[in-house]
Amino acid sequence: MANLDAVQEDAKLDMTPMIDCVFLLMIFFVLVIDLSQTDLEDLILPKAKYVQPDDQPPDVRPIANINQGGDVIYKGNTYYAAAQHGENYEGMKKLLVEWRNTLKLTYKPLKEGQAVSAKNPNIPDDPVLVRADKWTEWHYVGKFMTACSQPYAQFWKLELAMSEIDKEDKMLKAQKAK
Amino acid sequence: MARKSRRQQMKEEVTKEAEIDMTPMIDVVFLLIIFFLCIDFKILESKLPAYLPKDKGSQPEKVEPQEQLRIKIVLDRKGEKSLRPAAKHAYYLVGHKVHYTVGPKKVETLDELKDELKKIHDDPNRRVPDPKKPGSKKVMGVVIEPDTGTVYGDVAPCVDAVKFVGFDDINFGGGLGSETGGKYAKKPRKKKK
Repeated sequence: MANLDAVQEDAKLDMTPMIDCVFLLMIFFVLVIDLSQTDLEDLILPKAKYVQPDDQPPDVRPIANINQGGDVIYKGNTYYAAAQHGENYEGMKKLLVEWRNTLKLTYKPLKEGQAVSAKNPNIPDDPVLVRADKWTEWHYVGKFMTACSQPYAQFWKLELAMSEIDKEDKMLKAQKAK
Repeated sequence: MARKSRRQQMKEEVTKEAEIDMTPMIDVVFLLIIFFLCIDFKILESKLPAYLPKDKGSQPEKVEPQEQLRIKIVLDRKGEKSLRPAAKHAYYLVGHKVHYTVGPKKVETLDELKDELKKIHDDPNRRVPDPKKPGSKKVMGVVIEPDTGTVYGDVAPCVDAVKFVGFDDINFGGGLGSETGGKYAKKPRKKKK
């Protein structure tokens, strides 16, 4: 009888390390998925002094990243490269038309009896988030905004992205400390 | 094999129970380390709403022009380009400086801009007629006009202050011409033969 007890005691599985490993794997994958979001380019945004953080982003919100060189990047793909394309804004047009065709946008409701036409176009009600680097010249952002208001796009709600902290300030302070 | 005495057996059991299993503690410590390492990546971003003209040109009715508050962002010094730490191509501008004008008044800092805007926002004499509700008045719209050479880091904080004060109708004007000239830059008129 005593021997049987001893064997049963040995057969017990300690679940703790397995659960810990599962938790570690879960955390790893959650973080990797979050970091691999190609929507957000590595840009340093200006610091928001007054506005509140964006806690509940809308379900549909295309994000346009504009880097210091004026390039418009969406999900890692450059649609407009300022140095290469110059005055040719076809890339921006392509991106905006792609958003209109592929994203599940909500449109501004038309009045009763009205049908979609050139006079009563489908106007998207979802906002476009513009993320530009702190030092991106404004005219690049202006060009993108102009493209948004063109008849092929008609995105009229824009949001400008800012950050809670100034990452550049932090970098410069760290450099000085060295 | 000699049988263990009852005393010996009890001593062994007591020793066994007194062992501390360090595994969960180490795991928790690792979890905390990972958490604090990764939390830096997740910086919350804010957003500032602004609107582009929506229906202009498609309305059959006449629209009365409305008074809008003009905020100009004027470039004082462009600044010198300097390489950003830990970046290959990105730069920052040393000595970059702008000031703002709210209507005719010049303000130097964002806080001064915010205070000036607050005064205008709270002044009932600066309200404009609301076309949607005839007979009532509303806060006037704002047009932000960034100067040529201004950067996103000048404009976004300005929108931040405007939005914070309580202005909702924010539009943009000016500032689209590049320094070298471009699509929006003024071109010299061709002389007629």
